[in-house]
Amino acid sequence: MKSKSSITEAIALIDANNFYASCEQSINPHLRNKPVVILSNNDGCIIARSPEARALRIKMGIPYFKVKKKLNSLGVAVLSSNYSLYGDMSKRLMNLLKDYSEEIEIYSIDEAFVSILRPKDKNLNPWARKVRCLIYQNLGITLTIGIAENKVRAKIANKLAKNIDSSAGIFDLVRIHDETNYLRKISVGKVWGVGKQTSNWLQSKGIKNVNELRDMDENEIIKKLGIIGKRLQLELRGEKCLPIETSKKPKKEIQVSRSFGKPITKLEDLTQALAIYAIKASEKMRNQNLKSSTITIFTRTSHYSNHAYQKSAYKKLINATDNTSTILKIVVELSKEIYTPGYKLSKAGVLMQDLTNCKYLQKSIINNEFQEDSKKTIRLMKTIDSLNKRYNNEVITWAIAKKQQVWAMNRNSLSSGSTTDIKKIPNIIK
Amino acid sequence: MHSSDLTFKKVKIPLLSDSVSAGFPSPADDYTEENIDLNEHLISNPFSTFFLRVKGDSMINSGIKDKDLIIVDKSLTAKPGNIIIAMIDGEFTIKRLSIRNNELYLKAENHNYPDFSFRNHVDIQIWGVVIYSIHSYL
Repeated sequence: MKSKSSITEAIALIDANNFYASCEQSINPHLRNKPVVILSNNDGCIIARSPEARALRIKMGIPYFKVKKKLNSLGVAVLSSNYSLYGDMSKRLMNLLKDYSEEIEIYSIDEAFVSILRPKDKNLNPWARKVRCLIYQNLGITLTIGIAENKVRAKIANKLAKNIDSSAGIFDLVRIHDETNYLRKISVGKVWGVGKQTSNWLQSKGIKNVNELRDMDENEIIKKLGIIGKRLQLELRGEKCLPIETSKKPKKEIQVSRSFGKPITKLEDLTQALAIYAIKASEKMRNQNLKSSTITIFTRTSHYSNHAYQKSAYKKLINATDNTSTILKIVVELSKEIYTPGYKLSKAGVLMQDLTNCKYLQKSIINNEFQEDSKKTIRLMKTIDSLNKRYNNEVITWAIAKKQQVWAMNRNSLSSGSTTDIKKIPNIIK
Repeated sequence: MHSSDLTFKKVKIPLLSDSVSAGFPSPADDYTEENIDLNEHLISNPFSTFFLRVKGDSMINSGIKDKDLIIVDKSLTAKPGNIIIAMIDGEFTIKRLSIRNNELYLKAENHNYPDFSFRNHVDIQIWGVVIYSIHSYL
């Protein structure tokens, strides 16, 4: 038996600062050191800000139309979201991080948990500084790195790294002599996994900051939150309960939904939009080897509408499917159910639920409705997918998608810079 | 992200180990050995490699011409003599990193364009090292 190891495993939560804005600034020198905001799909709300925009007190989540004038007068660069750029930069970031850690769990587009080995009490700041420098040089993106014994505390360390100016973007919670002072500064609502309800309950019990949550009576927390609460508290106390999840969890559902550029009032337009989302959703399913047996569609009016309306409808299938034609028939049929004349619809979506992996698919004995996908249709879908992949965008699609889309998304300020489309790569002047 | 991602797209070109004769089934068919993937040969650090397009002729004497496609590796540390992409006053520029009187400066390879010294420019930053330029003859 080995004696108590002198090497421990540390967890770092690494996240990219102002990720979307940084991506744009990284490949477009005009935007460097300038206030930049990124708008959500359909140019609806502000979803990302550069530090310079933050300094101008431009708030997150604000509808664009409300601040358009102000942004203009302040000289803020306004960009539509360019997800192909952010996705590509995210992939680059995660792959570069792989070289500097034992294991990596990609937590979101701009966040990853990584594990690193720590020889007894060794300072990991040089490691973190190296990672920060490397990513800045390679991608022009600045990172914040929080280091601790486990994931919950790594999240907290990351918050501290952001809030404490002298930390230079790096905070190692393990090497702090007295962490009480630091943990007191973070409110319970900011703890990873504590939602609004739990936070309210804790506040009502007089538990306001992380320090108090860590030292709270464990029976009380278990009674209210069960095993999840217990795990949370154990992690706060430095034990490791949540493993790094390196493999992707299977998806529970696939959703494709968008806001319309202009509100829809006609059934014809609603059906077309839903059909296009259904085509996308089917393609996504095939990409991940999944089939769905519950298809749901929904639509609603704007949140700002006085004449509000929302409705959804679904159909359960006996045989799970990923066949676009089958799914289109269902979606077109269902769209009549959720349509009511007289409403200005602003959003619609398609949801594929009850997903099963094609490998484990059960065949039903009674099959009275939709035939199982034949070999021929499977081959057809494969061919369409590979042609669309190869020629980059829907060279082959269903007729309904190609008719003029009166409701198409607004992306008025899409940046011209790209890392994925050779026609849009940045220019070097002179 | 799918395979439309340019940087990592595999472009396969068959490499023949013999010449091809026309008109009858080629005896060379049996000697097809492998595919040349230009990405594999030109790009060693795919996650830090970016493409840019040249506008202008400030580097004409180095062989880099207007409209050329430039491959830039940001992971490399620029050394004197390298052709680099720098950001000067909010614009990308392509220059040769050079030394004169023990001082670094950016040299244009066209007498009609000025050089830039690091001393005189506050907002100057090296963005990446040019590893290839691709010129179309069409």
